[in-house]
Amino acid sequence: MSIQDVSPCVKCYIMEVQPNETLTNLKAESDTLKTKLEDERAKLHDVELHQVAEKVDGLGQFIMKTRRTLKGHGNKVLCMDWCKDKRRIVSSSQVSVWIIVTFSEEHAVTMPCTWVMACAYAPSGCAVACGGLDNKCSVYPLSLDKNENLAAKKKSVAMHTNYLSACSFTNSDMQILTSSGDGTCALWDVESGQLLQSFHGHAADVLCLDLAPSETGNTFVSGGCDKKANVWDMRSGQCIQSFETHESDINSVRYYPSGDAFASGSDDATCRLYDLRADREVAIYSKESIIFGASSVDFSLSGRLLFGGYNDYTINVWDVLKGTRVSILFGHENRVSTLRLSPDGTAFCSGSWDHTLRVRWAALIGIHIFGTRGTVV
Amino acid sequence: MSGKVCSNNSVMQARRTVEQLQVEASMERIKISTAAAQLVQYCQENSRSDPLLTGISASSNPFKDKKTCVLL
Repeated sequence: MSIQDVSPCVKCYIMEVQPNETLTNLKAESDTLKTKLEDERAKLHDVELHQVAEKVDGLGQFIMKTRRTLKGHGNKVLCMDWCKDKRRIVSSSQVSVWIIVTFSEEHAVTMPCTWVMACAYAPSGCAVACGGLDNKCSVYPLSLDKNENLAAKKKSVAMHTNYLSACSFTNSDMQILTSSGDGTCALWDVESGQLLQSFHGHAADVLCLDLAPSETGNTFVSGGCDKKANVWDMRSGQCIQSFETHESDINSVRYYPSGDAFASGSDDATCRLYDLRADREVAIYSKESIIFGASSVDFSLSGRLLFGGYNDYTINVWDVLKGTRVSILFGHENRVSTLRLSPDGTAFCSGSWDHTLRVRWAALIGIHIFGTRGTVV
Repeated sequence: MSGKVCSNNSVMQARRTVEQLQVEASMERIKISTAAAQLVQYCQENSRSDPLLTGISASSNPFKDKKTCVLL
């Protein structure tokens, strides 16, 4: 039996100060390991992503106007998520959670909760989860009956010791992953409310999380106020990779569609791309003129575009491969707080402190020739 | 006594940090040139089916109101 098998409290008692395990020696060892990690990563840094992408055709001009503006909230929009049916969204604000039934009607079901910083649609479309300053994540089963009091059916699932910053169902309605201001992430069984796994490693508030695409296995990435992005094994609770290149809080993380990389958005006004197999940051999306934090990021379906919502009210669209900005999207009249691509990739929705949600998609007229070298699509 | 507990906690934390770093250091990595090539390849393979790159025509507007048919 090794020290790994022993529970932490027992470790405390049986641990004696070994000659080679004084605090000084351990700190020296961790410094050596950190240097070794940096060296290993540096050895593989033989080229930049944008250099490899030089041969790729550039993107044409983008026209992506706001096609729908949803105004029902009356409060700062903090979070939103799409239903898999691609026609419904759930969004949350300082005082309520709101489900839009179709885009042709602004149909809202209001469920009063305290500052709701996180919301998510269940994969089945039959429930939503939300939470915030109440330190909990609660699940509300949805009903077609508009008159039914949904708040009465609420089920408390997660309990943290500080605010809930993000939540996501795993690939079924049965489990929810949460992140919290208490510095941890956790996996919960929805039915029983039981804690299945907890994830410790961040040194400060965890602000965001994203699950790896299901084909790539049981991992997820989280970002926090400690400027770190951590990749976790969901089954063991182990942090398997850690990235610390941002200079401020990481507000948003999102996997690249292949699962081999992820992007992050930070208060340091940059978005970055980290490749998981190279174990390194491979691109920074920034401009001297962009000085406000990025609150929310998401990729287009092919991974070619990265959308970033910023605190200067704009959405910047980045060419992921070439590292250049392709477009700026205006329209919001206050911070963009949340941004997500629709499940089929045809549109994306942004939510803002200006109380609205905006849905945009690319119109065919007027743009776009994209293809491999030598061919015209 | 409390001093000893405190220093035990710091040692425990330092040990956990070392263990965590050992896990991370033992990872097998690939070169950026290989990783980048795969990211580029994925983009190109999927570009034609990316609606935000290719745009969508008015007739296939996903948010257009659907008219219902009434059978007489």
